[in-house]
Amino acid sequence: MKRLNSLITILVACALAVSVCASEVDQLKADLIGQTMGGREKSWKFQSVDQIKELVIKNKTEDAQKRVYTIALQLQAAAGADKYAAEAKVEYWKKASGWQIDHVGLLSLKKME
Amino acid sequence: MKRDANCRWHGLEGNAKATWVVGALICCFVICGCKTAKQPDLGEPLAELTPSQKAQFREGKAVFQREFTPETGLGPLFNSVSCAECHEHPLVGGSGDEIEVHATRFVRPNSCDPLFDQGGPVIQQDATPLLRAIGVLKEQVPSRATAQGRRSTPPLFGFGLVDAIPDKTLLSHEDPYDRDLNGISGHANRAIDGRVGRFGRKAAVATLFDFNAGAFPQEQGVTTPLSPVEETINGAPVPAGTDPAADPEIKRADIDKVTDFLRFLAPPPRVCFTNSHERHQAKRGEKLFNAVNCCACHVPKMKTGPNEIRALDRKTVHLYSDLLVHDMGPSLSDICLGQAHPSEFRTELLMGLRFREHFLHDGSAPTVQEAIERHGGEAQPARDKFKALSKKDQEALLKFLDSI
Repeated sequence: MKRLNSLITILVACALAVSVCASEVDQLKADLIGQTMGGREKSWKFQSVDQIKELVIKNKTEDAQKRVYTIALQLQAAAGADKYAAEAKVEYWKKASGWQIDHVGLLSLKKME
Repeated sequence: MKRDANCRWHGLEGNAKATWVVGALICCFVICGCKTAKQPDLGEPLAELTPSQKAQFREGKAVFQREFTPETGLGPLFNSVSCAECHEHPLVGGSGDEIEVHATRFVRPNSCDPLFDQGGPVIQQDATPLLRAIGVLKEQVPSRATAQGRRSTPPLFGFGLVDAIPDKTLLSHEDPYDRDLNGISGHANRAIDGRVGRFGRKAAVATLFDFNAGAFPQEQGVTTPLSPVEETINGAPVPAGTDPAADPEIKRADIDKVTDFLRFLAPPPRVCFTNSHERHQAKRGEKLFNAVNCCACHVPKMKTGPNEIRALDRKTVHLYSDLLVHDMGPSLSDICLGQAHPSEFRTELLMGLRFREHFLHDGSAPTVQEAIERHGGEAQPARDKFKALSKKDQEALLKFLDSI
């Protein structure tokens, strides 16, 4: 019985961790909309969540004023369009209203085969 | 009679004389056929800017002219030390004699890889002393590239107005399947994120801001908050110790300032020939421009959309382009970019043509006439009609092009 309780506790903790992580990813996706990274032929303006086929948080740092995510992305403008793999740095700044996205920096970009 | 008139003139008071002078000037303009009010001179800001917008123009111009050094962000790889180093003729914001190299990979029928991971599509032609010291003098054309293209420096006058033209206006000129059977089948190119493109010789860039945001890292090797890492050397990171400036090397506000400068930079003023022969020649040339169907792609004017900036709000832009990409034939073909095939190029804007010294996308035509004669593909029928014109008519058409 004790073992079963422990197992349930572990499973609940894992599910909670996954859901927190998922909500953080969803929040990031939502915050990216309207942002532009890169420039010229390498510009990507996030216009809809549908364009973000995959978002993985690779790193996160935070201090009192600034939160910085390093993320890996798979992007596709529309169905049938070329897919791109990107890495980006997303900076949030603490404002009176809470954390607000400041800008997105493009670290690398590659057309996927 | 002459004497009477002279007498009357000398008998007039100062104010009345001024009225006569203004009246005479108005008559001159009407006779001359200059229908527009005073146009800003070349290099000046648009009319109707507020004092604060004029101040933004001046601040942006200063950033456009800022010369970078390795200590302030230049390189390690770069093409120029400032925006104005290339965009210099005949004034800041104009064209230049530098020729760039771009390279991409095209696989038939429709696959275009801009080779971002190998340093493409802009190949930097110069390196700072620290990079040169370890044997890297410039970037190489990527090994996977299927073609390279040469690119001249375009003049940027009036680009703010071009930026303010709604996408739907561009798209209204599309006819990719040539449904009207006129032999012209232009289509809009798209940026990699799917937005309608209009800037660059292949129209692969959606906005003026995007172009400027990318020009700093790609042309000057200057990192920005939106591109916070240095351009690679054909995919390899720059060696440690070759980049003394901390990243990002400029602020986001600097990109905004340069964009303000270009947004507010007035289009080139039209010429009003004072010589009546030239005036009539240019007028006839304009008719011939339309008659030989140059205007099918070099659309004489478009209108900007509603804009909170009064100087850009619903203004007519005499750009002489449809901003679409067209097949220009195999002899001009070079790289693909976005949805533009190697032989497809955006219709070149002709406003300010008279200030250029080299023509075509690669600057390889020394005269406008040669540039016209090298048009192929969709433009071949118009080119053939031009070549079939009498010498006098060709000169008239060229005179018109010299006036816009």
